[in-house]
Amino acid sequence: MTTGIAFELRSTWALMRRAINEIARVPGAVIPAVLAPTIFMCGLAAVFGNLTQLPGFTTDTYLTFILPVGFLQGAGFTGAATGVNLARDIELGWFDRLLASPAPRGVLLAGTVLSASLRVLMPITLLMVVGLSLGVTFPGVDGLVIAVLFASAFAAVAACYGAILALKFKTQAAAPLMQAGMFIAVLFTTAYAPQELLTGWLQDVARLNPVTQILEAIRQGFVGEVTWADTWPGLLALAGLGAVMVTLAMRGLRRSGE
Amino acid sequence: MAGIDLEVSEGEIYAFLGPNGAGKTTTVRMLVTLLQPTGGTARVAGHDVCEDAPAVRRSIGVALQEAALDPLMTGRELMRLQATLHGLPTEEGKRKGDALLDRVGLTQAADRRVGTYSGGMRRRLDLATALVHDPSVLFLDEPTTGLDPVSRIAIWEEVKRLNDEGTTVFLTTQYLEEADHLADRVGIIDDGKMAAEGTPGELKSQVGIAHLELVIAAGESAEAEEILARFGEPMPSRDGTLMVGLRGGAADVAPIVRALDEAGCAVEALELVQPSLDDVFVEKTGRHLEGAADDQPSVDETVPA
Amino acid sequence: MVAALGRRSVRQAFRRPQFLAPIIVFPSLFLAVNTGGAGRAVDLPQFPPVHGFLDFQLAGAMLQSTMLAGVSAAIALALDIQIGFVDRLVAAPIARASFVLGRLVATGVLGVLSGLWFITIGLVFGAEIHSGVPGALVVLALVGLNAIAWGTIGAALALNTGSPAVAQGIFPIVFVILFLSSAFFPENLLLEPAKTIAEWNPMSLIANGLREPIISDLSWGKTLEGLGGIAIVAAIGTVLCARGINKKLRSA
Repeated sequence: MTTGIAFELRSTWALMRRAINEIARVPGAVIPAVLAPTIFMCGLAAVFGNLTQLPGFTTDTYLTFILPVGFLQGAGFTGAATGVNLARDIELGWFDRLLASPAPRGVLLAGTVLSASLRVLMPITLLMVVGLSLGVTFPGVDGLVIAVLFASAFAAVAACYGAILALKFKTQAAAPLMQAGMFIAVLFTTAYAPQELLTGWLQDVARLNPVTQILEAIRQGFVGEVTWADTWPGLLALAGLGAVMVTLAMRGLRRSGE
Repeated sequence: MAGIDLEVSEGEIYAFLGPNGAGKTTTVRMLVTLLQPTGGTARVAGHDVCEDAPAVRRSIGVALQEAALDPLMTGRELMRLQATLHGLPTEEGKRKGDALLDRVGLTQAADRRVGTYSGGMRRRLDLATALVHDPSVLFLDEPTTGLDPVSRIAIWEEVKRLNDEGTTVFLTTQYLEEADHLADRVGIIDDGKMAAEGTPGELKSQVGIAHLELVIAAGESAEAEEILARFGEPMPSRDGTLMVGLRGGAADVAPIVRALDEAGCAVEALELVQPSLDDVFVEKTGRHLEGAADDQPSVDETVPA
Repeated sequence: MVAALGRRSVRQAFRRPQFLAPIIVFPSLFLAVNTGGAGRAVDLPQFPPVHGFLDFQLAGAMLQSTMLAGVSAAIALALDIQIGFVDRLVAAPIARASFVLGRLVATGVLGVLSGLWFITIGLVFGAEIHSGVPGALVVLALVGLNAIAWGTIGAALALNTGSPAVAQGIFPIVFVILFLSSAFFPENLLLEPAKTIAEWNPMSLIANGLREPIISDLSWGKTLEGLGGIAIVAAIGTVLCARGINKKLRSA
């Protein structure tokens, strides 16, 4: 049966499993991506840690403040890596095999992109383990669940972005574009400091950047209580970004035959 | 592409023959819905490739040139994935997958990673994956390029067997023997256009004449070419071998040899060759097919060395 | 010979965006984010007097850029080793040193170019070179030399491992080395244990040497310290390079 939900779900799952396969079979390739957010978090905390002395800072330790950034970074770079893998699959002709099968285009995208949502659990786990052992305040179960869910969803959005570039340029040389895009998206937010303490231009950028809302939603458990007021802007941002990215990616998929 | 019209009947093996860059792969990609045609229409297995692409994909099996296989997967895993993507229920997919692996002789290697397979094994796996859903039309893009002769023959036999079982086969190739050996009909393509079409026999009889191939001692080729031109129809030389077409067949050989001998041209090698598809190609396009990826002089431009 | 190989290396760098991106794009983005995100640090009482946080950050950006250039050169060299280019040269009767020298010259050139880039965008966005043109020249000289020093580390990496994949994995280590120095923040304001490590880290010497002409008057003391740091790095790199070349010769 090549139509219907069951077929689509099974195909999506099969493609996700294949993507995750890679991690198990070439573990060396993913280690940098898993370690990088944690290294970055520890490094930034050691360097800029004394920023918490500034009046208006919302946590006691800088580490607690930027751990959520690590979640987003992990998600962003996992997404970029997924894009690079897709570019490689396209370069090698593997993607043609998938395109010529009866699986709908949406399934091909979902299978690729959702694997990122699962992969991101690796850097996130390391972040939590290292962070907690270094004294980060536990965000509460609700805070943690929200943080993980939002990061997972952002990883899928980031993977869509990577897929768009992969489909457009069809080469792994587009990797820096994917990574730079994610870098900007994640760090040009309230990553380093609360909104009021950011320098002028970054304050404006952060206010306009939808990823700021996602970051704040992830951060809420770490800086205080989980509230709906802190959550819904992040949901809206995810939904909006997701809609845009998926649309562009599907368009890219359909156009890939030209 | 400059415009192609063709029709392949059910149950046929149709070969698309032409040099690199002629447009074979482009045509196949359009027919398997990987590329949108800029003009015209195409129907595969009764469905339009633009309007009804999913239906086309359900009916076709595709083994493309790059033999694009994920090196980290095992052969068996690949078959399973292919089965899932074509909608086969898990059990049936397993059964069919294993049966096909057996058919192409890969049961032993099935649980090894594809990255460890030889070129021939990859092609066989590629072919097997194209068959998992019993397609009515099979598309093969240069299925034996780069393979050793033994693997090539194995693929040929498999294709013949599939055709006997009722699968229509559309294959592209740059090898004459392949088209000659396998195809019910051949389409000769050059520069994005169809140069000739017909059964191998029909095409060869159109060209009709045998030709003589000679290797002359260095320095005497110019004289030899003049002599050849007197007795037969000039043809472009290839790799230093002079050629001339002979209307009279074998009977014309002796006078030529005598004339060359009298002129003092030393003949180092000589062979009488019956018409081939390469001759058809030369007649229609002015160039040789084999080694035609490099530049070959056309009939008008032949200048003696 | 050195010039020809040097030119090849520079051309290679500009042809592959994956190599150029870490040298210019990422350090610039990082500079922007650091300045925008942590800029208020100048309000902290222990922060040294500066015209602006951007002025303070420029040195770190330049360091990052040149170190990553050195590692990128390592990847390019490792690729050359893989494709056998190096074996051909090692067998040829030319000075083997001139091959590595060619690369180093190229890395030095890239270093100075990146220094120019950061000084330019620094000025565009409101920074000041406190000690004027002489200061800028000192900065460029130090940047170029640092690039060469890190080029030797990169070359040593390539010659000893011969693998581009390993060289690629070194990128995060560059960040770690810089985080554990005064590249991005004053030493006295770092948290332990980074603070103690930074006091011993030669990169701190180089960072301070690079930064001094930008945020205050030229001081020969700091400049010499910078050169000292560069010398330490270059020494380590050269020793490891020599070992690597000898290994190649023995196995050639």
